Amino acid sequence: MTNYRDEPPIPLEPFPVHRAESPFPPLGESVAAEPLPEPELAAEPGSESDPPSDWIEKADAHDLAVRHDAGRENALVALGRFAFPPGPPPDDEGLAARDRRWTSRMIMVAAAFLLVFNAVSPLNWARQQPPGWVPETVRQLSEVWVARLSVFAVDQPRQGLREMWDAAREARFIGQGEPDASTPAAES
Amino acid sequence: MLFPTLAFGVFFLIVYFTSWSLDRENGRRKLFLLLASWFFYAQWDWRFVGLLIASAILNWGVAALIARDRERRAGAKGGGWLVALGVAINLLILGFFKYYGFFVEQAGELLTQFGWERDLPLLQIVLPVGISFFTFQGISYVVDVHRGKTPPAKSLLDVMLLLSFFPHLVAGPIVRAADLLPQFERTPRLTRVMATHGVLLIVWGLFKKTVIASELSVNLVDPVFFDPTAFGAVDIAAATYGYAVQIYCDFSAYSDMAIGLAALLGYSFPRNFDQPYRAASMQAFWRRWHISLSSWLRDYLYVPLGGGRRGLISSCINVFITMVLGGLWHGAALTFLAWGALHGGVQVIERLGRAAFKRRDGAEAGPSRWGTLVGVLVTFHIVCLGWILFRAESFELAMQMVEGLGRIGPVVMLTPLLLALIAGGLAMHWLPPRAVEGMAERLKTAPSLTLGLLIGAAILLVEAVRPEGVAPFIYFQF
Repeated sequence: MTNYRDEPPIPLEPFPVHRAESPFPPLGESVAAEPLPEPELAAEPGSESDPPSDWIEKADAHDLAVRHDAGRENALVALGRFAFPPGPPPDDEGLAARDRRWTSRMIMVAAAFLLVFNAVSPLNWARQQPPGWVPETVRQLSEVWVARLSVFAVDQPRQGLREMWDAAREARFIGQGEPDASTPAAES
Repeated sequence: MLFPTLAFGVFFLIVYFTSWSLDRENGRRKLFLLLASWFFYAQWDWRFVGLLIASAILNWGVAALIARDRERRAGAKGGGWLVALGVAINLLILGFFKYYGFFVEQAGELLTQFGWERDLPLLQIVLPVGISFFTFQGISYVVDVHRGKTPPAKSLLDVMLLLSFFPHLVAGPIVRAADLLPQFERTPRLTRVMATHGVLLIVWGLFKKTVIASELSVNLVDPVFFDPTAFGAVDIAAATYGYAVQIYCDFSAYSDMAIGLAALLGYSFPRNFDQPYRAASMQAFWRRWHISLSSWLRDYLYVPLGGGRRGLISSCINVFITMVLGGLWHGAALTFLAWGALHGGVQVIERLGRAAFKRRDGAEAGPSRWGTLVGVLVTFHIVCLGWILFRAESFELAMQMVEGLGRIGPVVMLTPLLLALIAGGLAMHWLPPRAVEGMAERLKTAPSLTLGLLIGAAILLVEAVRPEGVAPFIYFQF
């Protein structure tokens, strides 16, 4: 509760409602127009400057360090780019569709993962439902699915986790006994 | 149909894919979401879908009349009687379903005391799930239109969806029209960060509800609160702390899942919890606990009562009334009334204390680090005392719980696992405040395959350790 209506509001927006601006500049502007100037080393006052060197005349050209030109492109990549030129950058709608596809893929992958490693869940659900066409169909399909998958031991991770949890649940403090049969705990 | 069930999972997958396939036509998309929400609600009791529709039509009609009245007055504020009518009808619906039995029972007892015993008409009224939430949303819509905070909805469809949207329908958060209507008016967008955040909130909520809250409820809280006389001080204290963790994990889990589900459909809901047990005062607690309700009570009850505009004493009275009515909102029982009075009373003491120790220059001295720590501990224990009233079936049982805190007896119920769950539930209040958001920011660049496998593995972990079956969320009964 607050005293004043205009007090700083409680944070209301866990999600951005508006699409945030991309932190990257448009593609055409991303290449710097001019190379950055080389920093000049300032001579310290009082120190003598080096005499002119003739090292370049004695050096073998093949020993010189090779400078990779950032602007040059691998020929194969250039050929690929020529053969399959990239399309224009996606617009807002394109970006939104791309994010939706990404989300849908993520959900489908998670669902498929659970369908394999948590196959017993639909079976448990079907067994808890009142009799009917849908629960019975799900039960029969699930039984076959679980039996087929158990050959590959994909039910073992879930089983192992469950056993570990049950062991933790059964653990007691030193000197502590099980709940007496007359206590509500034992009855519940 | 509860969130953490297979049936809801299948329902949501269908809604997710169908709604996004309709994203080019926002009207059809909203209509589909409305029908899906009604289907969701009808799983409890199809008859109350009619109540939902009637409530939406009523609030839409009153708001439209208010807007027309304002147009007639050329923008000048007016139509107070229309607002009063709208609020009164909403409260009448809420009062009939929620408080009829309570008031008839109390009136009967009162008449008996005066020797006028009468057979009052007792009705077995089924409480529609979530009625408090959609009624409060309706009231806030009508009042906000009157105050000019939000324009009236452009269509009845928007108001119907505002009240019926399934993620928040049965247990909040209470989403205001000003937050949701503008989102309904444009085609929603789903970004990676929204999707990642939403999925993480859903998994986190699943873990809190089905692992922590369910385990504590079944193996500790329910047995001890059922018969406190059978247990010693350690078990009773553990059950009290356990309930504090259980109710937080239960309710915040629902809110997290609701926010996550809405995010996956492209809508943004307000945050409802913000690590409440690290609050150093009761006032701060209510800024962190059930934020959508506390801000609703502030804007539509405390402020109209006068708020803090008429001085300290008036503000103390208003905050006390607000908290007592907030307690009554949770249920028609004297224990809830006492719970609200406790919270209100402590806030009054805090206000008086702050006023008394205010420096002469008007500034409030900030608490030291140790002062904050003491504040957190004291506030937490007062909140726990309140939870005893909140959870106990009657005053007698609540008193038995308090008495039991001084009884020496063997430790029967508390186990190392339950102790770890209580500690974990409290420790999560000291995570970085926006941990899930931060994780979502990091994971949004992951490939969908990686994230899908991670999410699948996390749900598998929850599924493996959860108890069989899921108890309804605590706040469904409100």
